[in-house]
Amino acid sequence: MSKYQYVPEPTLVKGDHDFASLTRLVTDINLRPTPKAWYLCMIGANALLMVMVVAIGYLIWEGTGIWGLNNPIGWGWAIINFVWWVGIGHAGTLISAILFLFRQDWRTAINRFAEAMTIFAVMCAGVFPAIHVGRIWAIYWVFPIPNQMAMWPNFNSPLLWDVFAVSTYFTVSFLFWYVGLVPDLATIRDRATDKVRKVAYGIFALGWTGSNRHWWNYEKAYMILAGLATPLVLSVHTIVSFDFAVSLIPGWHTTIFPPYFVAGAIFSGFAMVLTLMIVARKIYGMKDIMTDDHMEKMNIVILVTGSMVGFAYMMEFFIAWYSGVEYEKAIFILRATGPYAWAYWAMMTCNVLSPQFFWSKKLRRSVGFTFFISIVVNIGMWFERFVITVTSLANDYLPSSWGYYSPTIWDVLTYVGTFGLFFTMFLLFLRFLPMVALAEIKAVIPQADPHNYDEETGEFHKPKIEVPKPQSGKV
Amino acid sequence: MSEEVKENTYWKSLSELANNKEYQKFAEREFPENATELTDGVSRRGFLRVMGASVALAGLAACRRPVQKILPYSKQPEDVVEGVPLFYATAMPVQGNLVGLIAENNEGRPTKLEGNDLHPASKGGSSIYNQAAILGLYDPDRSRFPLYNGNKASLEDFEAFASSHFANTSQRIAFISEANSSPTYNSIKEQALSKFNNATWVTYEPFGEDNVLEGNNIAFGSRLRAYYNFESADVIVSLDDDFMSSTHPNSVDYAKQVSARRKVTDTNGEMNRIYAVEDSFSLTGSYADHRLKIKASQMEGFTYALAAALSTRINGLNTFNGYSNEFSDHRWITVLADELAANAGSSTLSAGAQHKPEIHAAVAAINQALGNVGNTVSYLEIPYTDAQSSTAAFQEVVAEMKAGNIDTVVMVGVNPVYTASALDFGSALSNVETVVNLSDYVDETAKKSNWHVNHAHFLEAWGDGYSYGGALSVIQPQIQPLFNGLSGIEFLNTIVNGSLEQGYSLVQDTFRGFFSSGFNNRWTNILHDGIATTNNFNAVNVRISSDFASAMNRATSNISSTSGIEVVIRPDATLYDGRYANLGWLQELPDPMTKITWDNVALMSPAMAKRLGIEKPGPGNDAFDVVEITVNGKSIEIAAWIQPGHVDDSITLTTGYGRKGIGRVASSYIDYTAGGVDVYPLKATLDMFFTAAEVSKTGETYEIACVQDHHSLEGRDMYRQASLSEYKENPDFASFESVHTYPVPGMKEAAEMGEDEPISLFDEQTFPDYEPQWGMAIDLNSCFGCGVCVIACQSENNIPVIGKKEVKRGREMHWIRNDRYYVGDDPNSPQAVHQPVPCMHCELAPCEQVCPVAATTHSPDGMNQMTYNRCIGTRYCANNCPYKVRRFNFFNYPKEYLTTGDDPDIIQMAMNPEVTVRFRGVMEKCTYCVQRVNRAKIKAKIETGSVIPPDGAVKTACQQACPADAIYFGDISDEDTEVAKMKRNPRNYQMLEELNTRPRTSYVAKLTNPNPALA
Repeated sequence: MSKYQYVPEPTLVKGDHDFASLTRLVTDINLRPTPKAWYLCMIGANALLMVMVVAIGYLIWEGTGIWGLNNPIGWGWAIINFVWWVGIGHAGTLISAILFLFRQDWRTAINRFAEAMTIFAVMCAGVFPAIHVGRIWAIYWVFPIPNQMAMWPNFNSPLLWDVFAVSTYFTVSFLFWYVGLVPDLATIRDRATDKVRKVAYGIFALGWTGSNRHWWNYEKAYMILAGLATPLVLSVHTIVSFDFAVSLIPGWHTTIFPPYFVAGAIFSGFAMVLTLMIVARKIYGMKDIMTDDHMEKMNIVILVTGSMVGFAYMMEFFIAWYSGVEYEKAIFILRATGPYAWAYWAMMTCNVLSPQFFWSKKLRRSVGFTFFISIVVNIGMWFERFVITVTSLANDYLPSSWGYYSPTIWDVLTYVGTFGLFFTMFLLFLRFLPMVALAEIKAVIPQADPHNYDEETGEFHKPKIEVPKPQSGKV
Repeated sequence: MSEEVKENTYWKSLSELANNKEYQKFAEREFPENATELTDGVSRRGFLRVMGASVALAGLAACRRPVQKILPYSKQPEDVVEGVPLFYATAMPVQGNLVGLIAENNEGRPTKLEGNDLHPASKGGSSIYNQAAILGLYDPDRSRFPLYNGNKASLEDFEAFASSHFANTSQRIAFISEANSSPTYNSIKEQALSKFNNATWVTYEPFGEDNVLEGNNIAFGSRLRAYYNFESADVIVSLDDDFMSSTHPNSVDYAKQVSARRKVTDTNGEMNRIYAVEDSFSLTGSYADHRLKIKASQMEGFTYALAAALSTRINGLNTFNGYSNEFSDHRWITVLADELAANAGSSTLSAGAQHKPEIHAAVAAINQALGNVGNTVSYLEIPYTDAQSSTAAFQEVVAEMKAGNIDTVVMVGVNPVYTASALDFGSALSNVETVVNLSDYVDETAKKSNWHVNHAHFLEAWGDGYSYGGALSVIQPQIQPLFNGLSGIEFLNTIVNGSLEQGYSLVQDTFRGFFSSGFNNRWTNILHDGIATTNNFNAVNVRISSDFASAMNRATSNISSTSGIEVVIRPDATLYDGRYANLGWLQELPDPMTKITWDNVALMSPAMAKRLGIEKPGPGNDAFDVVEITVNGKSIEIAAWIQPGHVDDSITLTTGYGRKGIGRVASSYIDYTAGGVDVYPLKATLDMFFTAAEVSKTGETYEIACVQDHHSLEGRDMYRQASLSEYKENPDFASFESVHTYPVPGMKEAAEMGEDEPISLFDEQTFPDYEPQWGMAIDLNSCFGCGVCVIACQSENNIPVIGKKEVKRGREMHWIRNDRYYVGDDPNSPQAVHQPVPCMHCELAPCEQVCPVAATTHSPDGMNQMTYNRCIGTRYCANNCPYKVRRFNFFNYPKEYLTTGDDPDIIQMAMNPEVTVRFRGVMEKCTYCVQRVNRAKIKAKIETGSVIPPDGAVKTACQQACPADAIYFGDISDEDTEVAKMKRNPRNYQMLEELNTRPRTSYVAKLTNPNPALA
């Protein structure tokens, strides 16, 4: 006997599901008639989406002036919302790509879900840079499109880097998500009874038969895309942070921004996944797949990234003092004590204080508390972007040009409206696509790894599976 | 922030001085302001109203390429090359005094006015009123046709009325005229008085020079104008005389003279010394080396105490021997008396025209005793003023009108219903059978007149007149009258002679009388130069009159100063007495001291505000406390404004606001709440300008659009100054190293690498040596903050006026702004400094690096250029500009104006065709007047083959207009240019040099010349 005792991981799927029951659990949602509640939610989401459409329509009609922007403060809610949504969009690809490469099998329960959230969040984010410009009809000039004037965009500009970073991230995330969907789409195609579904899912299943060759190609493609997506997770928010870090405005011009933005993005992304997951697993009865263990693991990520963000806040203050630059010092003191102190302390409370509760295992595993904190974290992360974007512009070098920014109703409606876009997309996803990566999760249940032959004698034993209970105490 | 306070503390508002305690309170409010956008969004109609004549739109630019037809000349007129402007001399009457101007004409329409170098009242400079006159010409709200009892009439109708009505020469006629120096006008006046034997003629100006004339009458026995020769004065003492502000009729000339004596080019330079004694913080006070604040009512005592102190030091002031009052022991009296006596003959004393005649008499006697007369001040005989020019004569006429003793009133260019509401002029008019009026707008007086005739703008009609100092000029029209109006001389001539005669022949007739021979040549020369002869006013060799002593004895024994709170009423720094109220440029020009636009306020000291319980609202909140001011039972409600440096127990109000129904810009509208408050009703009599009053806080608030007083900070180095002696000790006081005690970051490393400048990540722009390299230097020692650069820039560059609401939201569009900081730790008597900030045209421009579409780039001649067509409006450049000089078109400010309104073609004519009008959603900023630069380069290329124009051939609009010559512009690669010399001055510094943006615009630090005795 070895002196090390094998402690099996808790099973990732509870409830002693076999393959068939998992298939039913997940795909029945898509095959059942549409529930009334879904329609009600869709009406609500569509109403919000219309709010966004109206807000953007009025914006295009009247001009950027309908927002609360002014002379020193040229960026307001639009950029805040952009960074916020992009940050949320970090969790999905992180879960699917990085955790995949690190062989974190627990990701399979939530990766589909989180990737969908990512794609929709990036869509919401993408709305803002496109509409916040003064001349929306000329926005395509940011793309390097050959033209008769031989006029290229300015490759020095971080905004241009943003264009490439976000569009690449969206493309790769989308492909990654779609490739993962192919076997599951085939499953639905095979289970579908009506012709429309058979044809529709059939088209998107790309003729998947589950042959060994298909699986081989699929695994390779998935691995390659995971490898491609991994650096993107880090690069997108790094480049978004360059919008600020490359400028020379006090409070923006800091080298800590890339890691700090990435940590913040993961922080908010995980919080958003939790918010959605806690609701969805309740409604769709997915507690066996999206277990409290998952929630706990994600809460640990939130605790770690939240503490990193808190550390970054403190480093900013230290560097402002250590640099000896008076403008830098002034802006940080003004953030904490100045006209926007309310936003600053909202940010500190939500982002630094609230995750610290997760040192307690009991709270980490408390569904209600986790749900509450996940929302608090996303409020805090919104304020973080508000503090960064607005306070630095409001109080920069020349005191004569200091200003104050207040949003108008149109700022608010545009932001609220993007939730309409997000939830509309998300509801469509829940209705028509399997919300759990079925093919992947089947591979990580105990049934996928039956030890039917005695290792020493080679005799066949009828499978007898003992599933250990989760251990109490520390993980 | 309190730890950060440095010795020389710069702060901009009181909330800052209170160490941001407000901010803490403010923290509790989420999204406090502007959160009601949906309910009061920019309504197109309201927007239009406020745009008035102010919004910029050039003829051919609109939002979506409107179809417009251009008709070519079928026959090319001589001298006209399309696209090449022509320049003609003219002159603008300001309160009767001409300022010589050069009008730029594009395709037959004047588009820009500039000072005339040859004219002594301008010397190339101009005032905000001169600059804004072009907008007045194209104001669509101007009266467009004569009115008979409110109904549209024609000029022929008026002519017929005049010939019949004025055939009766024995009727009792009262002529009420604005001040007018025109010889033609005054000869018609003579004709009128001789033709109508029962006529009286009075001159009425709400803020005229009557007190000065009357004071000099007391001192010297005749009504003389004090004309100062500040250029010869080493010591200037201003007793509440704001002679540098545009409200002074000779401000341009005086500003030139005063600032000329403050040009210090090296450490051997000397400066004049300016003392200002005043109640409210004026531009002259902010420019002075020493400033004392006393109440307006104490000025009389102060003046006599000064005279008494001087009487012990110099001869000729025996009248004041032995006199003493509360000020006699004042430190300032001793210091001023010593200083004036020590500089006898090269000092000068002046008093504000609003003060009573006795003060001017004492001032005149002091100047006479000091031997200043003939050196620093001369007393001029004004041919066109007489006793009937006084407010007393005007009041008598009004009394006669009320008594029904007047049959016909003829008013030229005056608006007494508004400005003389103290006399209840409106009801006096109703006792007159026939009221005839000539005015620019259908104003308060025109509405009460039987006949209203629309006044031709001075750029539309021939005229003539004298400058403040007596230079004779012809007012040359630049365009046919747009609305077929009459000039003052044509109007009066029609009344007197019964038929309409052209102004051209009237003026020519006058000048034929001046020149016995060679009229045609001389006339052509006058039109070309813009000036006929100078020194037409006789400088009197004055002697103290025999009545002076008794008058002074009466005055000194009868001093009354108000106890408690006094209210002082002054002409507004931007709207004057209200005549410029419909000019959006002036409405939106920030007040030089308060930086408020679109409104007037009640200025008061911080201590008084505290007593009244008035607090400055926190950041982002524009709702200011309102006070009720009651004088003799009449009261107004007006927003209170805490003015550091204002004398305690005193409130300053400015006139010109609260006008109703004269035009879309001036009038109050609910949705814009612009227009301010009419303060004339508080004046009980015309000559009174201060009075005791009761003041209380109402509890209401009023929103004020202030462009600068949003926030504040301390201890930064944007503005650098030293005293003259400190400068002589340490000429490099303004360098970064002197200010910070360490060199510019990166310089040491650069020096080790053999470089002149800190290294940069970006390509450093190296410029071709065959191109001129443009740069600017702004001499802070000359700038006194008048704001004419802002208006000149607005006129030259088609900058729109955006309205109070947009200004309140912080979207002002001015390409050059004038930052005003208060310096010092004492909010009760700080120093105020002014700093014009245009685009710095950085060589390593932060804006250029961040634009994603390369819409802002660098030109080979070193300008930071903005390509409007390429701009998509990310606003990243504005964010990244450390100087915050970029301006964004949040709405389509010009478009609303172009396509709506009753006559958009009129307004379009005011626009400069050489400058693109910017569309919604693009960024704009100072271009160094690139259109002027390129015009000069083209001209130089044609004439010399080189694109480098001679120094001085290019003047930016701000530089050209500046009456203090504070702005230098030119080729900095040529070390002989004026700007290059300024940049070699050790006082030259770059703003935010440590950022390594390498701005092409730099500043020359301010010097003060304090008296050690007052230190």
